[in-house]
Amino acid sequence: MRRAALFLLYYLVLTPVGLLCRTVRDPLHRGVRPRASSYLVRR
Amino acid sequence: MPDLVLGISCYYHDSAAALVEDGAPRAAAQEERFSRRRHDPSFPAQAVQYCLQESGAKLDDVSAVVYYEDPGLKFGRVLTTFAAAVPYGFAPFREALPDWLAWKRRANDTVRDELAGLGLGQVPPVVCRRHHASHAASAFFPSPYESAAVLCIDGVGEWATTTLWHGRRSNLRQLAEIRFPHSLGLLYSAFTYFCGFKVDSGEYKLMGLAPYGRPRFAEVIRRKLIHIKPDGSFRLNMRYFAYLHDHVMTGRRFETLFGGPRRSPEGPLTEREFDLAASVQQVTEEIVIRLARTARSLTGERRLCLAGGVALNCVANGKLADRKIFDEIWVQPAAGDAGGALGAALSVAMERGASRAHLGTGRDGMAGALLGPAYNDAAIRAYLDEHGLPYSRPEPDALIREAVAALDGGKVVGWFQGRMEFGPRALGNRSILGDPRDSAMQSTMNLKIKFRESFRPFAPSVLAPDARDYFRLNQDSPYMLLVADIAPDKRLAGPQPEGISGLDLLKVQRSLLPAVTHVDGSARIQTVAEEDNPLYYRLLAAFKERTGCPVLVNTSFNVRGEPIVNTPAEAVTCFMRTDIDMLVLGGFILRKEEQPAWREGGDWRSDIPLD
Ligand SMILES: [Fe+2]
Repeated sequence: MRRAALFLLYYLVLTPVGLLCRTVRDPLHRGVRPRASSYLVRR
Repeated sequence: MPDLVLGISCYYHDSAAALVEDGAPRAAAQEERFSRRRHDPSFPAQAVQYCLQESGAKLDDVSAVVYYEDPGLKFGRVLTTFAAAVPYGFAPFREALPDWLAWKRRANDTVRDELAGLGLGQVPPVVCRRHHASHAASAFFPSPYESAAVLCIDGVGEWATTTLWHGRRSNLRQLAEIRFPHSLGLLYSAFTYFCGFKVDSGEYKLMGLAPYGRPRFAEVIRRKLIHIKPDGSFRLNMRYFAYLHDHVMTGRRFETLFGGPRRSPEGPLTEREFDLAASVQQVTEEIVIRLARTARSLTGERRLCLAGGVALNCVANGKLADRKIFDEIWVQPAAGDAGGALGAALSVAMERGASRAHLGTGRDGMAGALLGPAYNDAAIRAYLDEHGLPYSRPEPDALIREAVAALDGGKVVGWFQGRMEFGPRALGNRSILGDPRDSAMQSTMNLKIKFRESFRPFAPSVLAPDARDYFRLNQDSPYMLLVADIAPDKRLAGPQPEGISGLDLLKVQRSLLPAVTHVDGSARIQTVAEEDNPLYYRLLAAFKERTGCPVLVNTSFNVRGEPIVNTPAEAVTCFMRTDIDMLVLGGFILRKEEQPAWREGGDWRSDIPLD
């Protein structure tokens, strides 16, 4: 039961949301930026 | 009534508790020392009890309890990671999510419930601080510096994996950070895993392996795995790593890059592992040095404080100290997550108006990291008498003399004194000692006491005033967190003997201190100052007086795979199980040849997991 719920949650909710997010902007900032001088996030 | 703040780190690995009294560390200990489970991640019930007992307090007397990271923020990161890895991460999602939903996202509530269950009084408010704020506080507030740059580098807490801070008096301000999944700690762990060692504990072995290798993969790492900017900031190429969607660190692409599958944990160590270790070590040092330069230029400070798991990389620390980017560096002795408990408590104590009373004394506020339980001679005598173990109790001077005579005679001495150390290293209160001039000592101590073969030499303790005569060191290293070369005049000249390669290189005598000299001529040094540990200092001074050598081999009091001993009973058990010749237990001396035969049911070695 719980396993099925997790399965549905993962493939029916998280997967579309994740794919959609990634087309807009990768939340994990993968990929290099050769022209940037730094990857530091200033606070 | 002093203002007490209790810090807690747990539920990941190396859980710990720390009690801060008016801004000064009063007591701190890792739970593993009580539970006897190495790297125990569970709620540190016994460590909490100990901390309160040490200061004679109940929970009612504590102003605040501080959890060392922000569980809500961390849950956000975990969910984001799952979303970013779709559709490949169902297995870890299925396993991890129920716990996160049930309690992990509100871990501080769990901490409150656990504390309430201890029955030690009314639980004060439980708050949390961010993971790197805890690391930074543990690095700066106990440091001897009025102001300093602070650099924290680890695997990951919530989002930050590297942070840069400016500390002034009782104030810490964050300047910049690098975020998950881009992590130097995780890069190092990936290579640890790939070389067949355990993630989160085998990193030390990988560092010890590096001097055997050539950094022939360093270029590949820079080209393919990590993109490093001149200021030391970086991004990982996540196509080569598996930790976003799997339980393991590395995947097939990583294997292809480095010529085949990872070494199995039981497999032999080959040239490839030596070279991988040397390569990732070189890249790590490069990043740490660049980040330190950035910290220097952003803050204008001349002193640097370090914490986070990567700050336990004492080889990188040594290179950093050697470069003289900063006049001096100070590393929190419990730089890993256990130290987060102390940092979290310090952070809140400072906000509550505590001052850094140790400033101006020229010393740090860690009391030599001797923040754990002590056992007095009455308790020790009661234990020895109860078990019918023969002992002698000489006068203090004679005790030192007898221990030194044994060491000079090639004996291995268990040295159990005063309060237990906080952090991963034994610093002379829960230590096994030997003569570093003895070329057989390294293998004797490994095989007869630790029951392992080791490719790493032991660490030397040296009288602080004599350190520069023996090592190329330009500052103190009180917590064994700096590696430096043996001084040129203590090294043996002459060509490398032919026909020796691989791990056998450690058997080649390279210096007057063979037991502590690595194959590259370096040593992981502990400088002992009289103020930090008067008794241990006296022992070293007496050894010097007798032999001319102000150095002892110092290894932790335990056997392989077991946490460092905490109680006299554990010290006696370790003494009796192994070939330690003499045990100095507080004011008492036990000699192996006088002891009755040791009996215990079953094979104790099978109870201790391999490390
Ligand atoms: Fe950490």
